[in-house]
Amino acid sequence: MDGVTKAGRDASRPARLPGLRRALAPLPWLAPALLLVGAVVLWPVVEMVRTSLLDISSSGTTLGGAGAANYTDLFDEPDLWPVLGRTLLWVAGVVVAATVLSLALGQLLHARFPGRRAVRWAVIVPWAASVLMTALIWRWMLDNDSGVINRVLLDLGVLDEPVNWLAHPAQALLWMMGVAVFVTLPFTSFVILAGLQSIPGDVYEAARVDGASGWTTYLRITLPLLRPSLLIGTIVNVINVFNNFPIIWSMTQGGPGHATDTTTTFTYKIAFFDKHVGESAAMAVVNFLLILMMVLLYLRAVRRPGARA
Amino acid sequence: MKKQFIGVVAAGLSVVLAAAGCGKGSASGDDSDGKTIRFVAAIYDDNTKGYWDALIKDFQAKNPGYKVALEMVDWAQMDRKVQTYVQTKQTPDVLNYNAFSDFARDGLIYKASEVVSPQVLGDFTPTFVAQAQYQGQQYGLPFISSARLLFYNKDLFAKAGLGGPPATWDDVKKDAQKIKAAGATGYGLPLGPEEAQAEFYSWAMNNGGGWVDASGKWAVDQPANVAALTYLRDLTKSGVTQPNPETTDRAKVFNQFAQGRIGMAIGGPFTRAGFIDPVNKNLNFGVAPLPSRDGKEHNTLGVMDVLAAFKKNGGKNREAVRRFLDFFYTAQNTSKFLKLEGFLPVTKSAGDALSSDPYMKQFVDALPTSKFAPTSNPAWSAVAGAVKQDLGSAVSGGDPKQVLTGIQRTAEKAG
Repeated sequence: MDGVTKAGRDASRPARLPGLRRALAPLPWLAPALLLVGAVVLWPVVEMVRTSLLDISSSGTTLGGAGAANYTDLFDEPDLWPVLGRTLLWVAGVVVAATVLSLALGQLLHARFPGRRAVRWAVIVPWAASVLMTALIWRWMLDNDSGVINRVLLDLGVLDEPVNWLAHPAQALLWMMGVAVFVTLPFTSFVILAGLQSIPGDVYEAARVDGASGWTTYLRITLPLLRPSLLIGTIVNVINVFNNFPIIWSMTQGGPGHATDTTTTFTYKIAFFDKHVGESAAMAVVNFLLILMMVLLYLRAVRRPGARA
Repeated sequence: MKKQFIGVVAAGLSVVLAAAGCGKGSASGDDSDGKTIRFVAAIYDDNTKGYWDALIKDFQAKNPGYKVALEMVDWAQMDRKVQTYVQTKQTPDVLNYNAFSDFARDGLIYKASEVVSPQVLGDFTPTFVAQAQYQGQQYGLPFISSARLLFYNKDLFAKAGLGGPPATWDDVKKDAQKIKAAGATGYGLPLGPEEAQAEFYSWAMNNGGGWVDASGKWAVDQPANVAALTYLRDLTKSGVTQPNPETTDRAKVFNQFAQGRIGMAIGGPFTRAGFIDPVNKNLNFGVAPLPSRDGKEHNTLGVMDVLAAFKKNGGKNREAVRRFLDFFYTAQNTSKFLKLEGFLPVTKSAGDALSSDPYMKQFVDALPTSKFAPTSNPAWSAVAGAVKQDLGSAVSGGDPKQVLTGIQRTAEKAG
């Protein structure tokens, strides 16, 4: 407390020290969180970048620096570009489909009807179940000789013979995207439901008085007011879907070959199949930068027009 | 306020330290007296852990002061865990694994002569000693072995009007077609990412092919291999295999084999206890040599797992490791493990007991002519990884020559 009085008296240094003090005052409360963020978020990133610059032998022994060799190895992989393209398709497809479906589902859950409580619970279930479990169940449902989906389609006469869905890259990717949408729905629709419930009723009343149709009301009032919820939902989903490992790994292992790999499974395969840890870390760095870029682009795109609205 | 500040920072720091600490804590055992060792064992089946628990209890009773900390790891997790152990310098003292040569190359493990008695060293069957060497020195300790033969369903063969098992590739195709006509799958071909390298090598070696040429250089895309893969692709295209071999694993093939829905498939000594008996104990099947292209010479795929002992704390752990390994390699303890798990012996002394079982005897007899993957080459694990990922695509639309050339490139890059 000595410093404050001194500074107060000294006219030549007007209140600079107390200002600094005030700025630092929250530090004791923030420090644990900052330290944790440093340990849990920043340190792994540093470690990842460091590993990508090391020469690590197949046994896991560090042999020294590698310069950019891991990155040139990575960009020499013939599978890299198809994998990157597929990853973008995977993220965009799953997030768009999940968001559109969630808008409808959110609206349904928002409506008043008997048994609404039960329906809300039912929507949460896929969220509560482990993603790995859900993916495995789907994998077995899609199995070509004991799967229930083939059985049903055969019995209905839609198919003449069982189809090995997960062995064909395009079909496999579509099914996996379906599973990803399925597990993404609960979170997204509840974010949207929360958004819907935060819209005050008098806005709609005013719209009705002005004679706006249901569709116009939705486009002009509901959607714009849902923007914060959609923003949060989309960013969280982009990151989640981008990094999703269990669905792809348990359903196809990214195969046949690399035909259904995304960057996440590709990173894993480089490290533990090709035994090339350094190159795998390089892939992880690229992955990280991609996510960062996508989120920043998205934030810019969404912020620009009438950010204050 | 000052006190609070320090308290909060201290609390924060201790959280961070604890988080960082658990990364290292379980680690190196630098503080140990060299009498406690960590043993990472692979899970072969439900019996494995019970076996090691009992063995370790027995070992500790007979060697007072020495302790073995057991850690069981599933095969599916093994590669990832082992790589992490090495990378984070948390290697176990003894590891049960299927590769050792890159550890030897990087100077991480003891030579065999440093960690077992001369008596144990002399007891290993020479075939396996040759497989356990890196640059002329034995580093790996042969642990278990197995051999692959052709399994065929006698009932399906009778139904299709076939006599005995096929000897040539042409026979395999013809027989498979007849079995298909009789309403089952002719040949079960697992080229999925689980063990594609074993299935493929079983065919390639019976066409004079292999992973390396006579001088030991990688020769993955040699003509004999391309011909073998083209033959497998041809089997697939003609529809006598199960659909989509490129995504099928062994477990699925043998599950269907046990149900009597597949005529032929390649399996090992563990196939009966591990895959067939749990599904159908009464399956009428026979075991025959692997078919070869010309039907003259029949090679068998041999597989060996090893124990490797890691150097730690400047050799302080050596005495404890040696005691433990010598204890395991007594005839009684090894043969007990082999019987329990259905594997073949790697030591002369444990050998004869298994030959009394006629089923097992066929595999024991096949061992002398068996060929192994080049596990003494440090690049092998990377090559096997590439084969697992990519080989299957050659039968699903890819070009065999191109796929093998791609794997050859990986092999050369890895060393």
